[in-house]
Amino acid sequence: MRVPDIAASDIVETVPSALIVLDRNLNITSANRAFYQIFRTSAEETEGCHIYELGNRQWDIPALRTLLESVIPHRASVEGFEVEHNFPTIGRRTMLVNARKIFRPDDLDGSILLAIEDVSEERAARRESSRNWQLTQSIVDTIRDPLVVLEDDMTIVTASKAFLTIFGISAAETQGRRVSELGQHQWDVPALRHLMEKVLPENKPIESFEIEDDFPGLGRRVFNLNARKISQPGNHAHRMLLVFEDITDRKQRERDAQMLTNEISHRIKNNLQIIVGLIAYEAKWTAAPCVQGYQAMQTRIGAIAQLYDLISQSTHGQTVAVDAYLQEIAKAMSASLIGDSSGITIDVKAEPLEIDSDRAVPFGLLVNELATNAIKHAFPHGTGQVLLSAQKVGDQIELVVADDGVGMKDKGSAKGPEKRGSEYVAVFVRQLGGIIVPARSEDTGTIVRIRLPLAVPPSGTARVAA
Amino acid sequence: MAVILIVEDEVFTREVAEMMIQSWGHQTLSAGDVDEALSCLRSDQRIDLLFTDLYLKSLVLGGCDLARQAIEMRPALRVLYTTGNSVTDKMRALFAAGTQLLRKPYTPHELQDSVGALLAA
Repeated sequence: MRVPDIAASDIVETVPSALIVLDRNLNITSANRAFYQIFRTSAEETEGCHIYELGNRQWDIPALRTLLESVIPHRASVEGFEVEHNFPTIGRRTMLVNARKIFRPDDLDGSILLAIEDVSEERAARRESSRNWQLTQSIVDTIRDPLVVLEDDMTIVTASKAFLTIFGISAAETQGRRVSELGQHQWDVPALRHLMEKVLPENKPIESFEIEDDFPGLGRRVFNLNARKISQPGNHAHRMLLVFEDITDRKQRERDAQMLTNEISHRIKNNLQIIVGLIAYEAKWTAAPCVQGYQAMQTRIGAIAQLYDLISQSTHGQTVAVDAYLQEIAKAMSASLIGDSSGITIDVKAEPLEIDSDRAVPFGLLVNELATNAIKHAFPHGTGQVLLSAQKVGDQIELVVADDGVGMKDKGSAKGPEKRGSEYVAVFVRQLGGIIVPARSEDTGTIVRIRLPLAVPPSGTARVAA
Repeated sequence: MAVILIVEDEVFTREVAEMMIQSWGHQTLSAGDVDEALSCLRSDQRIDLLFTDLYLKSLVLGGCDLARQAIEMRPALRVLYTTGNSVTDKMRALFAAGTQLLRKPYTPHELQDSVGALLAA
């Protein structure tokens, strides 16, 4: 290629764009290496050839003719002239052509420098991206829950039809705006903003963030917001998908159910309070030796009431999570340890197991009875540990209530309240369809091991105490 | 001996609470709703401790409102709430500072401990 100095020649030979120089009659005077490589031709075939004749007239393209014959004669340079053509040697290509007139002292007629960049792949990628985007938009528009796609600067790229319809805004009103700026700023909640800022950089999805507010045209609504990072293969730019689930009706049903539960709980507790009161009233006129029995009865009624609360906190549908239930029992019992018992700790070690809610009360009463016995009798010095544990052994739950106290000196000598406590334990175990595993002799402490069936015994076959 | 105002809309429960508290040597006043309780609190009658149910008749948090007004009138008043309902963190946030909660059903022992602890504070 003829260029004024060697450095310019080196540059010309190394640039990735194809370069050719034409004389005023559109004959090719030179081309660079990139041109020969891209169009699979050689200097011999190219130099001196008329541009339209080159390569079996494959450059005789109407768009190129327009550029060379109609545009260039009137302008010193043209940039970004796009030519799409089916080249017999290399197939269909999209070329971006820059043209510039060059005048030199020894060539007063001037030449034309054409820089040709093959942008076929980029254009194909752009078309593919556009098709993908249209597909994504169609999917987005078919989802019934309103959703938006956000850029990493939290501005909206697109909103689904459901979003636009439900919130009564146009696509133009959403694009480029932040979610927090929409409507009457209902989504401008600091906690939500904080969570959204973590979705892309830390890939931390938002799960069920609830917002309740008055929405124009909708009234009071509760929305559940979920967000996650979305990425396109081969593209390092990430976006966020933010979905708005209208849970107003579900929330109302939950609130109604909760209100009903609270009302029933209130009535039950008040009625139990009346029973405790009746017992207290009777105890007032009862001879001293019997008062202890009345008090024990009051405590057990209190335990049943407390268990109902704990069950409601550990219930998963028709079953109760044993581990959570034991934790709640331990917490409630620990909270009641004061004075001489304040050095006693109650710990839980339980596998994630479930029992049916019908058996939860006797199960809780059993644990309560055993743990209360340990607290009352195992620690004369007021310090020690009670461990409540549950694990699956075959098709059974093994419940263990253990303490590191003084141990039972003479198991056969229990009488009065202690004897009744043991009898209650036996009754609860039978009600639960379980067995008490005989304890090994321990140097210190007491271990009570009970095996209960995991599954509920069929109706009518339960081994309930006669 | 202390003077304790018991506010409870359940007559039997209120009377049994009175009986228990009197048996420990305290004097009791009683009210069945917020208005009756406020009348007592507005009088010159000495009152050391207010023992009130949270849910009073149709007022879900009637006991909370009553305690707030009572402490405004008598800043030194001790308050013991009671309820059979589950208590949420939102409800706890409405409790006046230095007050205590006794869950229903409470035994005479538990009531005595709570009353004793508040009067000793």
